[in-house]
Amino acid sequence: MVLVINGPYSDSGHEEPGHPERPERLIAAMAAVEDLHLGSDLVVAPSYAASRAELVRVHNGNYLDELGAFCYSGGGDIDQDTYATMDSWAIAKLAAGAGLKVIEELQRRNDGVGFVAARPPGHHALADRAMGFCLLNNVAVASAALLSQGERVLIIDWDVHHGNGTQQIFWDEPNVLYVSTHQWPLFPGSGSASEVGGRHATDRTVNIPLPPGATGDVVRRAIDTIAGPVVDSFDPTWVLVSAGFDAHRDDPMADLRLTSGDFALMARTVTDYAPRPGRVVMFLEGGYNLGALRSSIHATLSAALGQPGETEAPSNGGPGTEHVARLHQARRSAIEMLHASDEAEST
Amino acid sequence: MTIENIAVGYDGSPDAAIAVRWALGAAGETGATVTIVHATGLLEHLHERFTPDRLPPALLALTEECQFNPSRIRWLVDNGDPCSVLLRMGSPPINADVLVVGSRGQGKRAGLLLGSTSLEVVEHATMPVVVVPSSYVKQ
Repeated sequence: MVLVINGPYSDSGHEEPGHPERPERLIAAMAAVEDLHLGSDLVVAPSYAASRAELVRVHNGNYLDELGAFCYSGGGDIDQDTYATMDSWAIAKLAAGAGLKVIEELQRRNDGVGFVAARPPGHHALADRAMGFCLLNNVAVASAALLSQGERVLIIDWDVHHGNGTQQIFWDEPNVLYVSTHQWPLFPGSGSASEVGGRHATDRTVNIPLPPGATGDVVRRAIDTIAGPVVDSFDPTWVLVSAGFDAHRDDPMADLRLTSGDFALMARTVTDYAPRPGRVVMFLEGGYNLGALRSSIHATLSAALGQPGETEAPSNGGPGTEHVARLHQARRSAIEMLHASDEAEST
Repeated sequence: MTIENIAVGYDGSPDAAIAVRWALGAAGETGATVTIVHATGLLEHLHERFTPDRLPPALLALTEECQFNPSRIRWLVDNGDPCSVLLRMGSPPINADVLVVGSRGQGKRAGLLLGSTSLEVVEHATMPVVVVPSSYVKQ
């Protein structure tokens, strides 16, 4: 099976001294791809900057204007976490466009797995605000493009932080199912199990908040028991993964205890959610320990491609098993409350 | 209108301290309680700045300077970006009647909407917002 990756572009202008979201992350990601030794089975899609028309499907036009102007004026700190430089606007548009071209290539081939190694990451970016290192929401831009083609998109977000931006953008969209596993409490503070989607998309948001120290067995059980039935019912035509690797036990940004072996197992699971080959794309989100990032991406892509790959052993024994059972109930209660509220309004 | 609970953002900057000083003064006059909230961002997982169980020394000093009863202060450290955290103050469990912010926080650039927490909060808030200018000095 082929791996389709995005075309290379220079991201070296988007950097701030000492900031963990740095160009070396992409170097580690590409090293993980090289470690696969794919030869002619590695396909590189052309580099492409997302157009305004493609961005305004998910972002407010005024926000795009402000972000562009902010960068052209020299950039600076947008908030305590998020920065932009003079080059960030151009680089962010390339990151947002990368997924579009990878998807086009997969559609042309009807085969393969996509991997978008781009930065800055995207899943915290709201429709009208940058935050959490993110300027444009890359996975949302790609999802919106697929929606415009009549597709039904499953977004699996296994970054250790809740993808509040992606959730917000598709909150009331019935043709997007957003599933997130994340540590809680942790930045950005959203992502409780009771957040289940808007009135027109009840049950289209599945949040699986996990306690610090949770291990891969807990995450997998949660995905299987909570997300699995919803995914089956949704019947996606595409699977996009917000693949952050900061849930790895060596990552400094959080406290989950996953290993590269856990990411490999999750990659197999989400690949099985796709209706056929050529319908899965992984988007790089977080992951700040370069060694863990490289090994986790390698394990993920190996598993998605159906190749054997060296990984750490899957983790187990951490806290959260009982917590998962409670999440299921919290989610059901929230959905029942929404339905009851709808019925009360209609009578 | 009765003001029972004032929420004020604090990021450690001089402007935030000015906002807290204004909030304590207003609470002194209205009898309100004050929730001082700090938004814990992504990077603070690497470098913890404030702990939820202890009022920062600078705020403790400010409380003494304003002769404000510490028992009427709630110190809150919440995960999120400043704008989102501040906007949550209008909802349970805080239910603030008024939100107070400084005009500029740490590292922000004046005159631009992007990066201005105070302007974004004003744009999205569902409760009255007081933006205390950095030049404010109690008369």
